Amino acid sequence: MSEALHDPSLMSQSTALPEAALAVRDLDFYYGEKQALKSITMDFRKQSVTAMIGPSGCGKSTLLRIFNRMYDLYPGQKATGSVLFDGANILDPALDLNMLRSRIGMVFQKPTPFPMSIYDNIAFGVRLHEKLSRSAMDARVEDVLTRVALWKEVRDRLKEPAAGMSGGQQQRLCIARSIATKPEVLLLDEPTSALDPISTARIEELLDELKQDFTIAIVTHNMQQAARCADQVAFFYLGSLIEMDSADRMFTNPRQKQTQDYITGRFG
Amino acid sequence: MSKTMGEGWRKDPRATQRLVMDRLATVMSFVATAVLVLALASILWTLLWNGFAGLSIAALLHPMGPPGSNGGLANAILGSVIQTGVALILATPVGLGCGIYLSEFGNGSKFATSVRFVSDVLLSAPSILIGLFVYLVLVAPFGHFSGLAGSVALAILAVPIIVRTTEDMLRLVPVAMREAGSALGAAHWRVVLFLCLRSALPGVLTGILLALARVSGETAPLLFTSLGNQNWSFSLDKPMASLPIAIYQYAGASYDDWVRLAWTGALLVTLGVLSINIIVRFGFRSKQS
Repeated sequence: MSEALHDPSLMSQSTALPEAALAVRDLDFYYGEKQALKSITMDFRKQSVTAMIGPSGCGKSTLLRIFNRMYDLYPGQKATGSVLFDGANILDPALDLNMLRSRIGMVFQKPTPFPMSIYDNIAFGVRLHEKLSRSAMDARVEDVLTRVALWKEVRDRLKEPAAGMSGGQQQRLCIARSIATKPEVLLLDEPTSALDPISTARIEELLDELKQDFTIAIVTHNMQQAARCADQVAFFYLGSLIEMDSADRMFTNPRQKQTQDYITGRFG
Repeated sequence: MSKTMGEGWRKDPRATQRLVMDRLATVMSFVATAVLVLALASILWTLLWNGFAGLSIAALLHPMGPPGSNGGLANAILGSVIQTGVALILATPVGLGCGIYLSEFGNGSKFATSVRFVSDVLLSAPSILIGLFVYLVLVAPFGHFSGLAGSVALAILAVPIIVRTTEDMLRLVPVAMREAGSALGAAHWRVVLFLCLRSALPGVLTGILLALARVSGETAPLLFTSLGNQNWSFSLDKPMASLPIAIYQYAGASYDDWVRLAWTGALLVTLGVLSINIIVRFGFRSKQS
């Protein structure tokens, strides 16, 4: 347990792993004066699920909200360092944010159905970036609803308000809405924390399928969820990345004592 | 008390005092409520009793006329509908736009803070003052009273109500909804227009209807602006009749049929406002849930 906190060998285990979709380098983040992330360096690999765990307030969600520049909505928040995505630095102020957000989608903690029909919830995001014919749009809606296993449940009430769905259905709709714009990366911020166990299990199954096509970054407080769904797990504490490794290794034999203490429930 | 009960059940010496205070407070709040309900009930009773006495087909279809001529209130009803309608058409875009600005774009800037303050002051400004202001701006320079001037005065009264409710309702839209819209790559104005405003729509419409209810009974701002008219008046460029002005003229008159019509007019205004409130209460509540 005497290794340095940022042992570079932790990041570059093997060349057999798929390449990085998001490469985070020396990332610092500030809420006003308060530093929330300290010198984060890590990779999010393509076609895999990376889970971020750690106690509340340790910077997991903050990191997620950097990748789609959500923090831009609020003055006084700033990030330094770099996050490389498809050859560009996400932090670049000149970046087209609407384009970035169509390529990096996000699903939030609570389901956020828009005040419109189920169909329009999905079409809303698609229309922002593409001009589709009616039949192409119909096909897109059916496709994404099928992928989130919602099509059979809602195909007869596509025109009804999305607010009438159950919480689990709403969250799957939000995932469908996010993948409908065909992003490359999907950010999930505790997507099941407001859901019952059955809905949670469905979303976890869904992640397994979605990672064929998307790079998935998920923040979770649920250790079992991280163990079940993630390929890589990153443990954060007080704004620092303590350790990142394959899920198997992290949950059976972590290198850092802090990680071990956290996943065994001794603190956090 | 039975002998077997424990020491902990010993009677608290202050228990009686607490009980008396409790009863007293209950009785006092009940009396206060009764006074309010009785006052409202007697107003409504007087209004219904006197109002229905004068209600007739003639009152609804004939224009105002000289005493004893079987005149009605039709021109005043029409004038009120036209003037409040035009006032709403003028006030809604301004109030909506201003409320949206304050909630979504002002972001605590000095300008937004002062706009909000001015709007709140306007909310409680005496309506006769608004009437005098419009008289100076739209009546005196043109040399004649006009329905349009009346509408503008009513619109000025309606705008701050719409501003306030629009801003309040937009602020109730969860941050998560805005973030979800932005996260899909929607520009800020799109998020505001298609997500926030849409989600706040029942509340915003309620505000507009409440503003309508508020201005439809206003008399003072119309005295100096649209003046009133004994005949049919359709032109916004000319003096225009309205129910509140007709009530004002007729209620103090010494002719029995005019006084009866004043009561009927008051009844009509009250029923109008009441039905707007009922629509707001039940029409929008079901949609919101």
